Amino acid sequence: MPIAHSAELPRIWCPWILSLVLVAFLAIRSAAASAESVATHWAFQSPYTPSVPIPKNSRSCRTAVDRFAQARLEKAGLSLGPDVDRATLLRRVTFLTTGLPPTPAEIADFIADRSVAAYDKLIDRLLASPRHAEKWARHWLDAVGYADSNGYFNADSDRPLAFRYRDYVVRALQRDIPFDEFVREQLAGDQLAGDQLAGWKPGQPATARIVELLEATHFLRNGQDGSGESDGNDDEVRSDRYYALESSLQILASSLMGLTVQCAKCHDHKFEPITQQDYYSLQAYLFPAFNIQNWVKPNDRFVYASLPGEMEVWEANDAKLTRQENELTQSYQRWVAAHRPRGRILFEDSFAEGRPLSERWSNVAPGDDAPAGIPPVALDSARAPAAQVRSGKLEILESGGAGDRWISTRDAFNWRPTATGDWIQVTFDLVADRVAEKGRGAERIGYLIGLHDFSGNGARKGGNILVDGNPAGTTTVYGEYPHAGSKAIGSIGSTGYAPGHNYGIRISRPTAKAWIMEHLVDGVVDGVPLEMKGDMLAEGGFGFEFCCGRSFVVDTVRVESSLGEDPAWAEENRQFAVQLVARRKEMEGSLKAIAGLKRPKPGKISWVSDLGSEAPKVPLLKRGDHRSPGDTVEPAPPAFISKTHPASRPERSGTGTGARLSLARWLTEPRSLQSALLARVTMNRLWQQYFGVGIVATPDNLGLSGSRPTHPELLEWMASEFIASGWSMRAMHRLLLRSAIVQQSSLPTRQGIEKDPSNQWLWRFPIRRLEAEAIRDATLAVSGRLDLSKTAGGYVPTSRAVSGEVVLDEALPGAFARSLFLQQRRSQVATQLGLFDAPSVVFNCTRRAQTTMPLQSLSLLNSEFSLKRAEDMAQRLEREAGEDANRRIRLAFLLTTGRPPDTKSRGMVRDFLISQRELHAGEKDAAFRTWADLCQMLLASSPFLYLD
Amino acid sequence: MSSESFSRRAFLGRSVGGLGSMALAHLLSRDVHAATPAQGSHFPARTRAVISLFQHGGPSQMDLFDHKPELTRWDGKPYPGGALEIHFDKQSGQVLGAPYQFHAHGQCGMELSELLPHTGSIADDITLIRSMTTGSVDHESALRIMHTGRFLAGLPGLGSWALYGLGTENENLPAYVVLSDPGGLPVDGERNWSSGFLPALYQGTPFRSGPSPVFNLKTPERVTAMAREGQLKFLKQLNGQHASRYPENTELSARIANFEIAARMQTAVPEVLDFSSETKATQQMYGLDNPITEEYGRRCLLARRLVERGVRFVQLFLNGQPWDTHDKNAERLKGLCARTDQPSAALVKDLKQRGLLDSTAVIWSGEFGRLPVSQGKDGRDHNRHGFSLWVAGGGFRRGYVHGATDDFGYKSVHDIVPVHDFHATLLHLMGLDHRKLHFQHEGRATSLTDSEVTGAAVVPSLLG
Repeated sequence: MPIAHSAELPRIWCPWILSLVLVAFLAIRSAAASAESVATHWAFQSPYTPSVPIPKNSRSCRTAVDRFAQARLEKAGLSLGPDVDRATLLRRVTFLTTGLPPTPAEIADFIADRSVAAYDKLIDRLLASPRHAEKWARHWLDAVGYADSNGYFNADSDRPLAFRYRDYVVRALQRDIPFDEFVREQLAGDQLAGDQLAGWKPGQPATARIVELLEATHFLRNGQDGSGESDGNDDEVRSDRYYALESSLQILASSLMGLTVQCAKCHDHKFEPITQQDYYSLQAYLFPAFNIQNWVKPNDRFVYASLPGEMEVWEANDAKLTRQENELTQSYQRWVAAHRPRGRILFEDSFAEGRPLSERWSNVAPGDDAPAGIPPVALDSARAPAAQVRSGKLEILESGGAGDRWISTRDAFNWRPTATGDWIQVTFDLVADRVAEKGRGAERIGYLIGLHDFSGNGARKGGNILVDGNPAGTTTVYGEYPHAGSKAIGSIGSTGYAPGHNYGIRISRPTAKAWIMEHLVDGVVDGVPLEMKGDMLAEGGFGFEFCCGRSFVVDTVRVESSLGEDPAWAEENRQFAVQLVARRKEMEGSLKAIAGLKRPKPGKISWVSDLGSEAPKVPLLKRGDHRSPGDTVEPAPPAFISKTHPASRPERSGTGTGARLSLARWLTEPRSLQSALLARVTMNRLWQQYFGVGIVATPDNLGLSGSRPTHPELLEWMASEFIASGWSMRAMHRLLLRSAIVQQSSLPTRQGIEKDPSNQWLWRFPIRRLEAEAIRDATLAVSGRLDLSKTAGGYVPTSRAVSGEVVLDEALPGAFARSLFLQQRRSQVATQLGLFDAPSVVFNCTRRAQTTMPLQSLSLLNSEFSLKRAEDMAQRLEREAGEDANRRIRLAFLLTTGRPPDTKSRGMVRDFLISQRELHAGEKDAAFRTWADLCQMLLASSPFLYLD
Repeated sequence: MSSESFSRRAFLGRSVGGLGSMALAHLLSRDVHAATPAQGSHFPARTRAVISLFQHGGPSQMDLFDHKPELTRWDGKPYPGGALEIHFDKQSGQVLGAPYQFHAHGQCGMELSELLPHTGSIADDITLIRSMTTGSVDHESALRIMHTGRFLAGLPGLGSWALYGLGTENENLPAYVVLSDPGGLPVDGERNWSSGFLPALYQGTPFRSGPSPVFNLKTPERVTAMAREGQLKFLKQLNGQHASRYPENTELSARIANFEIAARMQTAVPEVLDFSSETKATQQMYGLDNPITEEYGRRCLLARRLVERGVRFVQLFLNGQPWDTHDKNAERLKGLCARTDQPSAALVKDLKQRGLLDSTAVIWSGEFGRLPVSQGKDGRDHNRHGFSLWVAGGGFRRGYVHGATDDFGYKSVHDIVPVHDFHATLLHLMGLDHRKLHFQHEGRATSLTDSEVTGAAVVPSLLG
């Protein structure tokens, strides 16, 4: 995008830049992980509680946080700024805590409440709001790399169950569960549940607690994982698997420990005290769950654990719907059976007992001179291959071996209808798919038409068509079977062969030159017809095939053909066809409606568990290359921490090796260096969300190569306070919100600009643009369209329009839900959000960019979303403020800026309304357009887009 | 504010104000604090712009650029050179001869396949590198190496780095424009021009075919020009009033300026897409009069028009990965060359005749090469150990062949150029030191060439 570097710029800035580079270079040089620097590095120190400084001027200080900040400001000759006005404060803290603007009623209440407790009441209300959990879930999900897709390959395949982890995070924040517990659940929820899970089997209803613990483990599944699509050679498949494991580890280390470990995959880290040994020892904690040799593809890694009662409700509902479906299809079939005009019966056999089978059947095809197959089929015998009548049914007994054996009717039929509109069909009842009750089910129910001969006897071409009835679904049809030149003609039907139904095929001639074969299930056409050529069809018998795992029992074989030459019959048949189409359509409509009411089986959770309870051998990979495995490593934390704070050995639990549980307990061990690191990383990110930049500007790196903290003691104090509060995020929010540093003005002062132009010491609250989600959510809120009813469940899908833009179909349910609930596909970030720096997640995003570019302006000016919301907002003004222009202007400003307009702004708006109305003169909705134009500009303006 | 107020000019004095301050909006906003490293050139640039004609799939070097008589001699016989690294199965193990003739071109006598007569006509203007190597035989990984220096997904590409380093010269057009195939996205899709961890500001902007080449470029029909003008005037007042409270804030002034730039883009983009001012001779040179070359020619010509207007980086892509000739290698190469040879060469000639070639580098390259043995009966599998690419202009040497592969074109053996050395050289010509152009990411100064790990270095003999 136009970044517009003027030509002079580089020269002017070069010395400055070079000095920065030099400083950075020297910093890195001196940082290179010498034992001494590791021993003295601030983030690697044991936790302590710094004493709160007493600044010279503590008048404006409200909390300990303020005293740390003020003390630092005083060193720079600065001071905390004055309090911001109440309207700005309300807008600021409402956005910070909930990502949404205050409503006009909330503004009125807060401005009117002059009591001392008003602000504390406000904070309590905001922090208790579900909107707060939703907003801060977004920050956590960024930090841990949440996505609704697998990434890695171009396909970027769907991750359909990730949303349950998203919802788990929202619920956990809403309940303010202790943060250390939150971390343990995510690293090892399955193993924490250990005892509770002992008697539980996947698929059974579980307790709410178990469900939650299993959902939490999806934390380790947030990384890119292309192993579901791997199709290269073995090496590549292994690389793809390792990549998923490595991604998980990278996310874990950067989001929970503030360490950049990935360099140590190939060699000891150049800047950090992480050796290659450390890297693989850490990896060994995750390896049992990401066992490269015993891999499970991402979308196959799920478990069923429903909540108590959930399964019963689902089953009852599903059974009811299935019953309705069956009733519908059965009543349709009954109707078909009763009304179908019967053709001429050419052959019918119900296999009455006492009549020899050989009377009407043979192992020689009509017109042929020798039986098929070696050995030939024996009729009326129980020695396979054989066919015998028993209990009034025909049993087909196969004896293994490839198939060229059949029995056939002694009669031949013409399988090529001669006149347009004619048809011939054969049907039979499938009684059983095995002969002995405990026998193996038939792989196929094979039957043949046009049986006359096969290779060797100088036979006619065509015929000998095998319909290879498939119990699992689509059935394949072969021509000239089993001749060497036999090949599949195509496939018919979609319904599998199951006992208790009537199957068969019908061949008809819809036009002079076309023949089609249709699949018949219970007398009704199933699936799309298969086109046949005339020369494929020949005169011959009908029969069953004896082959390779195909014993079965049939009854009532019937061959019939149309009576096309009889005009009365033809008319009846035509009318039947018309009614059939109408009835089928009606039935399909009802079935679709029922299908829409069906819900997936509840309790499906995308999770992590160890793939076996034996700890696998984990090799160190030389140069990071899995083709060069080195020594085996044991799970262990990085040596520079574990030498003073060792981890306990993993203890095998009922569901796995216990390795992750050991890591989780180690990481959150009270009063340890590592739990202090966790608290520092977390408090630094909290600070970053409030002030735009963390106390350490590199939130994923607190190590030697990371930025230095601006306020090291403040960060340490907050970390210690966080732990002391019982790891309560809400307590820390409250602390910051109560602090003067959050409540101070954002306006510049001469002194401030001169002494600290970048505001690193926070002499004012830093003004900054709302994040992408807040812009969209606030636009929806202001225009009256925000749908707060969606608070959980599957994502609202986005799609890529022909133009390439990623859009949201506004007709979809949830289209106006908060942005948190939109599909987070890595390669398909909603354009509207991506333009305002919503990340396309690769690993994770601990800090977002904040860019200003013309494409954002084009979106605010020209996108359908912007125009429609402006119109929505204009309607809202009409609805809520009536005809009075001043009331409308006031409401518009309250909504978009959190305060009523000042005199100057009101004048500006009135002038605009007058001149803009003139520009719309002659248009039929000129007045409305004028207001919509105003609304659009308010929604595109800096007072709306920025947090003052 | 009154007593505390100060002039914005005073604050911006150092940076010449105006657009200069906008340019640095990102840099200044909060990153000074984060010690984001250098932007701006490190030494005088030879090339101002880059046009990358990217050839997805791995063009077959031995059939196009790297004449190997031994291949023909051994055609159909077992490959005598020992084990080859293969990607897919169905390898016959037999040498597959190169069926096309090679001829010497230009004063330099560069040998090129008969499929590339037009490239032959610019032989004296190009450097042909026959000794490239890369790190992966997997398309996506190799693409990422070619674009971003590493096989990992999600890193910034060459275009983003160039932009991050140098900014733009025409604020009315995107500085990094992607011209993808109207037939569809290339393999790896939009990741090919992602800015990765660099701010979104530096990502490639695809120009789409059709009425709205850039998202939201067109003012919706229901908004009249006059009404829009009225709106923008009002918006400027609103924003101006807000910004006046924060006179030192460059981001707020950049936001105001961006609404004006956006409006100018609305005319600048359609203008650059309008070829009516191009002569018939120019259009013919690019092959716009021939249905086979027309589409690719159109995009080559558009690339020139963009560069002419100050766009820094232009990338052309093909649909899918057409050079991936696992079967019917010879036949498919013929079709692909027929489509791309003339327009690619025309671009170089046109830049030259307009005096733009000295300051514009044109790169013709895929992500890897192909094997000397046959896959199936008439295909070639992937090869990372040796492939060819050519570059023209922008300070690269002219009429020069660099490096060589072994007798069968499998492995680069002389003057080997790994991808990151090529990157280092290209950045060097843009006035950027690859060792200094970095961005703080994953806790360290991350760069395109990662020279501390890869040992990347500029290749002096490629410089003209």
